[in-house]
Amino acid sequence: GLPQQGRSGAGVSPILKTRLENTYRMGPDEGCKFNAGRVQRVLEGALASALGTTVYSPQGSALLAQSLAELLQNQVKEVVPPRYKLVCHVLLGQQGQQSLLVASRALWDPESDSFASATFSNVSLFAVVTVHGVYFE
Amino acid sequence: SQSVAVGEHAIFSSSDTSCACIESVLGKADYNHNKVNQWTAAIVEQSLTHLVKLGKTYKYIVTCAVMQKSGAGLHTASSCFWDTTTDGTCTVRWENRTMNCIVNVFAVAIIL
Repeated sequence: GLPQQGRSGAGVSPILKTRLENTYRMGPDEGCKFNAGRVQRVLEGALASALGTTVYSPQGSALLAQSLAELLQNQVKEVVPPRYKLVCHVLLGQQGQQSLLVASRALWDPESDSFASATFSNVSLFAVVTVHGVYFE
Repeated sequence: SQSVAVGEHAIFSSSDTSCACIESVLGKADYNHNKVNQWTAAIVEQSLTHLVKLGKTYKYIVTCAVMQKSGAGLHTASSCFWDTTTDGTCTVRWENRTMNCIVNVFAVAIIL
């Protein structure tokens, strides 16, 4: 596609607006879909190496949860085919005697979209992570 | 009251519907290990049904976590790889005497 110039306002430099060609793509290619098994293995490995013997702390764990979500998302991005949007959700908690259940449901296209999840626990904390992959037409 | 803000437009006020869903399912119940499965399923299903009724061109992902109150700490975080101008998320926290509940709604735009 040819780039087009657009004017945004007086005294401001023009913004280049790229026009892309139609890809005529309706769905992901065969064999190029979200591979749940593979993503789950990546998540399990990443969780184990990131958390290992980490100890739960009320102040540090909030940040840990956030950085973990970003880290896992970046790792998963490497094994997921292009044109997939990702939603990575992490739950990090203190290991106690409590019970916890995480459930999710999605409205999507079952032909192309999927999810993977993994859990990790040590004596001090536990983590549950879910990654949903949604194909972007 | 939380709205999902997408770009400059608030596409829906998700926290009201989520709160109502959670309240109707968990209400005044005490944490019950045998019932937790059907509770989370009900919350997630009702939330999704409400979202579908809005009739917007979005794919939705709803997650729900129910935890027994025991003094232990819990943190949740999410990271999304998407188009920030069209997609959005909303989180609702709810609790009663015996349990905590966190519901996340993620809306991913479909271009028609």
